[in-house]
Amino acid sequence: MTANSDTRAGEAAAERQDAGRREVLRYALRRFGVYLFTLWAAITVAFFIFRLVPGDPMNILLGNLTRAEGRQRDAAAEEAIIARYRHIFGMDEPLPLQYVNYLRKAVLGGLDLGPSFVEYPAQTKDLVFRRMPWTLGIFTTSVLLAWIVGTGLGALIGWLQRSRLSQIAVVISTLLQITPVYLVALGLIIYVGYTWRILPAGGPYARHLQPEWSWEFISSLLTHAILPMLSNMIVIGAGFTLGMRALMISVLGEDYLTFARAKGLSPFTVLKDYAFRNALIPQVTALAIIVGATLNGTFIIEVLFQLPGLGTLFVQAMGLRDFNTMQAVVLFSIFAVLTLTLIVDLALPLLDPRVRRTA
Amino acid sequence: MPTLLEIRGLSAGLRGRRSVTQVVSEVDLDVEAGEILGVVGESGCGKSTLATAIMRLLVPPQVLQSGAITLWLKDGVGHDLLQLSDSELRQLRWRHLSYIPQGSMNSLNPVLRVEQQMTDTLIQHGLSIAEARSRAAAALELVNLEAKILNSYPHELSGGMRQRVIIAAAVSMHPALIVADELTTALDVVTQRQILQELAGIRDELGATIILITHDMGVVAQIADRVAVMYAGKIAELGSVNDIFETPLHPYSQGLIGSIPRESGGRIEGLPGEAPSPWNYPTGCRFHPRCPNIFDPCRERIPALQTQDSARWAACHLYDAEVAADA
Repeated sequence: MTANSDTRAGEAAAERQDAGRREVLRYALRRFGVYLFTLWAAITVAFFIFRLVPGDPMNILLGNLTRAEGRQRDAAAEEAIIARYRHIFGMDEPLPLQYVNYLRKAVLGGLDLGPSFVEYPAQTKDLVFRRMPWTLGIFTTSVLLAWIVGTGLGALIGWLQRSRLSQIAVVISTLLQITPVYLVALGLIIYVGYTWRILPAGGPYARHLQPEWSWEFISSLLTHAILPMLSNMIVIGAGFTLGMRALMISVLGEDYLTFARAKGLSPFTVLKDYAFRNALIPQVTALAIIVGATLNGTFIIEVLFQLPGLGTLFVQAMGLRDFNTMQAVVLFSIFAVLTLTLIVDLALPLLDPRVRRTA
Repeated sequence: MPTLLEIRGLSAGLRGRRSVTQVVSEVDLDVEAGEILGVVGESGCGKSTLATAIMRLLVPPQVLQSGAITLWLKDGVGHDLLQLSDSELRQLRWRHLSYIPQGSMNSLNPVLRVEQQMTDTLIQHGLSIAEARSRAAAALELVNLEAKILNSYPHELSGGMRQRVIIAAAVSMHPALIVADELTTALDVVTQRQILQELAGIRDELGATIILITHDMGVVAQIADRVAVMYAGKIAELGSVNDIFETPLHPYSQGLIGSIPRESGGRIEGLPGEAPSPWNYPTGCRFHPRCPNIFDPCRERIPALQTQDSARWAACHLYDAEVAADA
């Protein structure tokens, strides 16, 4: 090869690289646009949907107040109180204006999502931030563990597709996958928590403890987290197992697997580099999809296990028709799900060289 | 020439719910060292099943029913491929026995670089990483590819390049026997010709023996030394390329040769009817419903593959003096 054609080839390669980089930038920008649009759409839908729920939050609030004080006010005083509350929560204006104000404050006011009714005068934002670690902790840990266990197990029973044991595993996973998560949670609470008393089945940590950096507190926190996470893991993990099994079986039929066997590679290498590596790619995409679909299961689990996460907050807020808090919970849940999905999406090119080029 | 591979009574089939459907029936075949043996036949005649059975790569529902396949190594030791344990077979694979699969286009792992796919086997067979790399580069040279291909992923290569990488991988350990299944089917005619030439070159350079499975008589005519014609799971005729193309014995081979367009023009004679599927092979000679030369014994008796002269075999009652005498 002459020097001339070498440099030309080099230029062409550099050009390709430049084009590749532009391509990546465009992809990233488009992703970010979709990200913002989804957030906006979610908050808009949440804003209007929650206001369609019957029941005036002011009346509920007033009722609570009356009950707490134990005495009846006259109608004029009640009117005055309701008008005062309406003003505080910005609900004395027409709906479209409320919506515009809400968006304006949220975007320009540094995420000012208004005060909450649940813990007035606390800011909704602070309330959500305080509860979020519980939800994200339980949710991400259980989904990730379920994914790891399910992927490993599914790869194994897909690889041993014709053995009795793997057929039994398929039946069990199918049954677990179609069981609603709350039934699994209730089963665990009843049997493990109360009948056998193996693990605590309610509350975030033992009642006599205070949050602190001590072994006693942390171990209590962890043992209380086992059952909630297990309920989530069993159902999601069974789904991941079945998915990975199907992927493995289809990869096992590929020509490159026959070729790998013909090469005289050890079965472990064939499994690891040829079957598993290829089945893993769609399985990672599945993780991204599942992340969005299973957050609501975590909300239910929080309520059942009395954990102070976003789920319990949402249920409290729902009872009071606390629009601000409900909207904030939706907003932050969507934000969390989108972020997790984005991380998974960005991880894909690491696994698949074909995506690396075109992304 | 000494025999490299000896196939005796090989039967393989498809396992169904109740019974096994035989696809390849009682095949006897000797492959001589250093030859290129073309195995031709229509789709569904069992030639690919024969190839995968030789490689012991049958996967359920394909099952091996009976037979022995002996590979004679240079040191005079014979191994029955069907009796070896999995790990013994793994030792033999690639070093002595390699495979170019049907659908070579999809035979490379899409997530690994060519280098890893070519060298992982070599390393597991005891070569050092540096040795494996230089072996892989040398093998690529045999098929006219540059060593820098090693850093590519399969999707960055063209179809012909991928096919060449597969061939290079298959010959990288200088195996005694290469089984190539529909090597060139997916390629354009020009590439096809180049690759066949490269394959012939590899045979000359490495002294390898090649079994070439194909449905393309043109490919066989270009490259093979001997031809085995398969029909409905059995070998109908075996002989040198010249004999089979000039004076085919079996009526099926005659029909097959007659259906090739000739330069001289003239009418192409097609074979009437179609090949039976394994689920309803006819009794007696499996070709008899389509045979122009049919006579009584054909309907009941299965013809054996018999020597006609020292270098030709045919499975046809026409050439069996005893049967002819009975009739």
